[in-house]
Formats: sequence, structure tokens, C-alpha cells
Amino acid sequence: MADHADLPETVTLTIDGQQVTVPKGTSILHAAEQAGTQVPHYCYHAGLSAPAMCRLCLVEVEKAPKLLPSCVTQVAEGQVVHTQSDKSLTMRRGVLEFYLHNHPLDCPICDQSGECKLQDYAHEEGRPHGRVREPKRVFGRDDFGGDVLFYGDRCVMCTRCVRFMNEVEQDPRLAVVERGDRSIIDTFFDEGLEGTNFHGNVVDICPVGALLSKDFLFKQRAWDLSHTDSVCPNCSQGCNIELHTRDNLVQRLRPRPNLDVNGHWMCDEGRLDYEWINRGGRLEVPLVRDGKEFHATDWKEALVGLVRELGAGPVRALVSPRLSNEDLGAARALVDQLGGGDLVYRSRRAPEELVLKGFPKLARRRDLAPNVNGADLLGMSRVGDNDGTGGLEGLASHDGIVLVVGDDLEDQPPTFGKEAALYVFLGTHSSEAASHAHFTLPLTTFAEQEGTFTNHENRVQRFWSGLPAPGAARPAWLILWALLAEHTGQTQPTRPEEAFVTVSEFGDVTYETLGKQGVIVTPPTRQEPAGAIGD
Amino acid sequence: MSVTVKVMNRPEAGRTSYLRAALKGMGLTFKHLVNPEKVTLQYPEEQPDLSPRWRGTHRMEVHADGRPKCVACGLCPTVCPANCIRLVGGEDDQGNRYPVVYEIDEFRCIFCGMCQEVCPVEAIHVGVHFENGEYDRSRFVYDLDRLMEQDHPTTLLWDPSDPKSE
Ligand code: SF4
Ligand code: SF4
Ligand code: SF4
Ligand code: SF4
Repeated sequence: MADHADLPETVTLTIDGQQVTVPKGTSILHAAEQAGTQVPHYCYHAGLSAPAMCRLCLVEVEKAPKLLPSCVTQVAEGQVVHTQSDKSLTMRRGVLEFYLHNHPLDCPICDQSGECKLQDYAHEEGRPHGRVREPKRVFGRDDFGGDVLFYGDRCVMCTRCVRFMNEVEQDPRLAVVERGDRSIIDTFFDEGLEGTNFHGNVVDICPVGALLSKDFLFKQRAWDLSHTDSVCPNCSQGCNIELHTRDNLVQRLRPRPNLDVNGHWMCDEGRLDYEWINRGGRLEVPLVRDGKEFHATDWKEALVGLVRELGAGPVRALVSPRLSNEDLGAARALVDQLGGGDLVYRSRRAPEELVLKGFPKLARRRDLAPNVNGADLLGMSRVGDNDGTGGLEGLASHDGIVLVVGDDLEDQPPTFGKEAALYVFLGTHSSEAASHAHFTLPLTTFAEQEGTFTNHENRVQRFWSGLPAPGAARPAWLILWALLAEHTGQTQPTRPEEAFVTVSEFGDVTYETLGKQGVIVTPPTRQEPAGAIGD
Repeated sequence: MSVTVKVMNRPEAGRTSYLRAALKGMGLTFKHLVNPEKVTLQYPEEQPDLSPRWRGTHRMEVHADGRPKCVACGLCPTVCPANCIRLVGGEDDQGNRYPVVYEIDEFRCIFCGMCQEVCPVEAIHVGVHFENGEYDRSRFVYDLDRLMEQDHPTTLLWDPSDPKSE
């Protein structure tokens, strides 16, 4: 555990016949994990306090009079632990039988099915058949407000959800009411979870299908989803997430633990804002304008044609903070090659930060794009207002080279770029304001390419590609570097890791040193990024 | 391992007569012509006797109120080895899980009956039925309505008197 890393002392113990050395203060549960054994548990969650009440993680420790809850028992020198002994297994089977006493076995219609801890444990260690004759108690389902539905019958009373709201969100809106087998999680009168900003996490931490997301309800089966490590694209916090995809669509976003960035959590706005990734009507082939007509063409022809037109000249480029560092680096390299020019971006800004009180490192930041800091770091400047509109007067009527990468120009009139000697538009979707573009080139979204984002504290984090690119769409860095290769006749990066190291601001950081946790490249020069505009 | 090849000596050209063999064959034909034991079925007037374990095109069971029994659990598309079931789940007006889209491509189906075996609510069945002729290939993708309309008997996946096929 990271919390204990500063304690120098270590303890050596034996778990299931295997010796492990762990820092002092580690729980048996974590030590067992290092020994390669998963001890079943419900109430314990690494991001919450441990009440040791689910009684599922009890293990046999030699010389201890009774079984001990492994989630709160700290390791001791020379301890001998048996997680798979007869005593432990019998106990777990018994506890599981009680969990199933009132459980509805709704698996066919339960969204948790396939990622359910009760299913897993019962399948691994439970009794093959129940012995309960009594009728089961029935609660039915309840709307908790926000994105959360509660299926009371399935709850195992681990109180993770209650503790999350108390300790992490610090807005205690859930509680256990009643007692015994009538105990149930409830909200206070009419006040539900509506209006809290991180309640989606209770669905993730609920080990069973008691808390479900309305957005995901009955949508897909958990076992059909492919998981891809990624970074949340919806604000500059850069929460580590997983894209859950199926049928070439993002079906949901889930947080991925990174204690330096988002802990185990993510915000609801970010979690539910994924439909834009799935938006149809994508640009799929390079288009070349010939008078008023657009002709679909292939990459070779488009790039060769484009290079022929690329005279040196004053360039004005508009990029997007949704682009990766690699994309931005390539855009800057191209502009530099053409004799230099302005690189600007626009970004939506929320009126305030939404901080997660129990884990203040995590906040929904004001910049609603993942790579605002990347653009700043690369010397690009912000224009426009807090809605990510306006600010392009100079660009729209520029008569040199106009390069638009990744900004959809939704607010711009069709006359945009009319005067330009050469107007190149790289985007995922076509736009009215691109109707004067000489070349319209199809881009991938972040979900369809590999790359890195720089978050609000200048932490560079990698994301991976989880969806196939539509048609001939390509990442912006690949297109721009290919253009440069064609233009200069020199070989240029063809892989994201090569494109990444061309950006001098990142020093000697490489994809390998970034790993999954990311690296802070240079501490941010200012606390609140470019707040002046329109504030 | 050595391979043994048997060399056949063919009769020399011009010294062969096929007459005897032809007559022998004709003899067999005429024998069956007068044989009282008939094997030809006068289909369609006469219907064949299908085994209770026959596996034909599918049938979806329906509730008394006309809703399909399927709860869109996704097990049959998961188990289907031919990958021919398309299912999109959703929530109906009573908050229940139900199949918004349920289609079986009967051309791709290999009639293994695994969908019937896996279904937790005994909704999908393969049927004792074989008359599936159509004028159009596209009609072989059976949608939910079509599956619910089918009314032929459903299969017993195993012989009740010999469930283990001994
Ligand atoms: S919570 Fe788990 S065991 Fe219970 S019905 Fe849902 S999937 Fe099945
Ligand atoms: S609803 Fe889920 S998280 Fe909350 S107590 Fe029940 S099982 Fe635990
Ligand atoms: S019978 Fe077999 S192949 Fe046909 S739909 Fe069912 S599971 Fe698939
Ligand atoms: S197995 Fe049965 S309930 Fe599940 S999707 Fe198939 S037909 Fe529907």
C-alpha cells in the first residue's frame, strides 16, 4: 500500500505456505494479495474505512483463538495465515449461505451479472444448492435520484455506499434503516442523490447489483464489454478511466484507480458525458475541393495535392484542447516548418470547480477539455469565451494558410476561411464553416487512437485506443507528420511514441517512463490556467 | 508406416461386356417396383413422423398477456456457437427487462439447441418442424414477432427415457 511506503520496517509472515515480506501495518488482506491469494470481501474497499462487518474475509491465523477479519488485522512477524484451510472455507461457505438467504437470484435480469462479487464467490466457494425453505423478503426497486437505482433485494448490506457518501463525498445522503433482515439502504425522505456530483461511484463500488446506473440499465451485459485503459476526456483533471466498449460504441466509462490523480473515483459529469464519442455522421475519407464540389480521394492523393499547395506563408492555426500532445506537437512542427505563425485554441470553461471533499486531489476542473495544459505547455494561446466560441475574427478572414485541427467550428459562419490562400480542415465531423476548406481530412477521436494528455498539474498520462477508426480517419499527428515527411522529404514519426518524443517540452520522458500512472513533466507555472478570459 | 497399394488389373479393351451388370441392376429395380413394402412417403398428404428430439426452427414462448417470455438476459447470444442471435435489451413500461430486438438468423443456426438449454426462463425453444421454405433469403432472419407466432411443438432436447443417451 502506498500509504505505508514511508514506513521502513517490514514484517515477514507466511500465507498459505508462502513467505511474504510486507511493510509493517499492512493488513493481512493486502499481504495475501501479494502472495497471490484474493480473500473474498464485501465491506472492505481500498478507498474507504474498514468496518470489518461483512464477515467474509475471516481467515485462520495460527495461535489466534478465532478466525480474524483479514481486512483490519495487521500483519505480525512470524504469523502463519491460512486463507484456504477447512476452517476458513467452512466459515465462508456458511456466511455465503446467509447472504443468499434472502437474495433473489435475479442474475438473468441483473446488470451486475458477470461482474458480481456474490456470483463469483458463490460460484467459487458457495454451496451448490441452497437449503432455505422460508419465503424470501421482497423490497422491490427504488429510485435514489441522480443516475442511481436501488434494488433492495440484492443488497448485501456492506454499507460501502453509505460510507462513500459519508467519507468521500461527505454529503451523507444514504443510511441503513431498519434492522435485521429488514434492514435496507435508503435516502432521507424525498432527498435523493440528485444534486451530488460524485454519486455515480456508489454504483461502481456496490459489490452486487443493488445499485445500478440508470444510464446503463439493461443496455449491455458486463461480459460482452471490452475494457480499454484511457483518460477521461471531459475535463483537465484527467481521471484515469476505462472505456467499456461494444459494437464499436462506448457503452460506459468507469474509473481506474490512480492514487495520484483520481483515487478510485470519477465525477458524474465526466462519467455520463460520452455520447459525443459515439456521434455518427463522421468524416471518413479525405475530401478535396474543386470549385464548389468536394471530391472524395485517398490519403496519398490528398497529401501530395496538399503539399503542392503548401507554399511558405503566414500560417494561422486553430487547434483543440481535445487533441493529444502528439497531435499538438505535430501541428506546431508543421506551422514551424512553414515559417511560423499563430497557434490558438478554444475551450469550454465551467463556472466553478467541483471538488470531491474526501479526496480533494480530485475535482471536476473548470477547463472542460483534457489537454488544455498540453496546449499551454506547447506555447499555444487561448482565445474565445467560456463557451468555447468566438475569438476567431482574425483567423476567419486570414488570407494566408489557415489550418484548423480538431475544432468543429460550430459557431462559425459558412464564410469562414473564404479569403484563405489555403484552408485545411482536419476534423471528426464536417461543419458549415468548413465549406471553403480546400482540403478536409478525417480525424479520429481520442478513443480511436493512442496518445497522451497533460492534465491540470502537468501530469502527462497515456491513453489507449479502444475503438476502430471509421473509414480512412487517422490521428492528427499521423496526418500532420506524413504531410511534413512529404514536404521535407525526410522520414518522420509513424508511431505515437516517436511522435511523443519529438515534443521538446517533455524532456526525456518516454511512453515507457510514463507507464500507466503518468509523470508530472514540469510543475504548472500558474495555479488557475488562463482564467482571465471572460471571467 | 508403409502404404499398401492394391493394383487392379483391368480387363483388356474389347473383351468386356457390361450387359450382365446392366441386367442385374434392372432386375433390382423391377424387384422393388413390385415389392409391397413401400418406403416412399406421399408428402405432403402424408406427414413424416419426426422424433421428439428433432431440432428445427425456433419458437419464442409467450406470456398470457402476449409479451415474450424472454427477459433479455443475453445468455443465448453468448452461448450460441454460430453467433446467430442478435439481442438488444431494454426496459419496458413496467421497468422490466425485455428484448427490444431479438433476431435469429436461421441460416446461420446449426440447430444445436444450446439456446434452449441455457435459457433461464424457458423462453426460446427449437421446434419439431421442418417446413421452412421461403422465396426470399432475407426472410430467414426471424424477428421476435415471427418467433412468437410460430406454434409448432417444441423439442425435447433429450430422450426422457434415456436422458444420458446410454
Ligand atoms: S447481485 Fe449478483 S448474484 Fe444477485 S442477482 Fe445480481 S448478479 Fe445475481
Ligand atoms: S447497496 Fe450495494 S454498496 Fe450499498 S450496502 Fe447494499 S450492497 Fe453494499
Ligand atoms: S440452436 Fe444453436 S446455433 Fe441455433 S440459435 Fe440456438 S444456440 Fe444458436
Ligand atoms: S436465454 Fe432466454 S431469456 Fe435470455 S436472452 Fe435468450 S431467450 Fe431471452
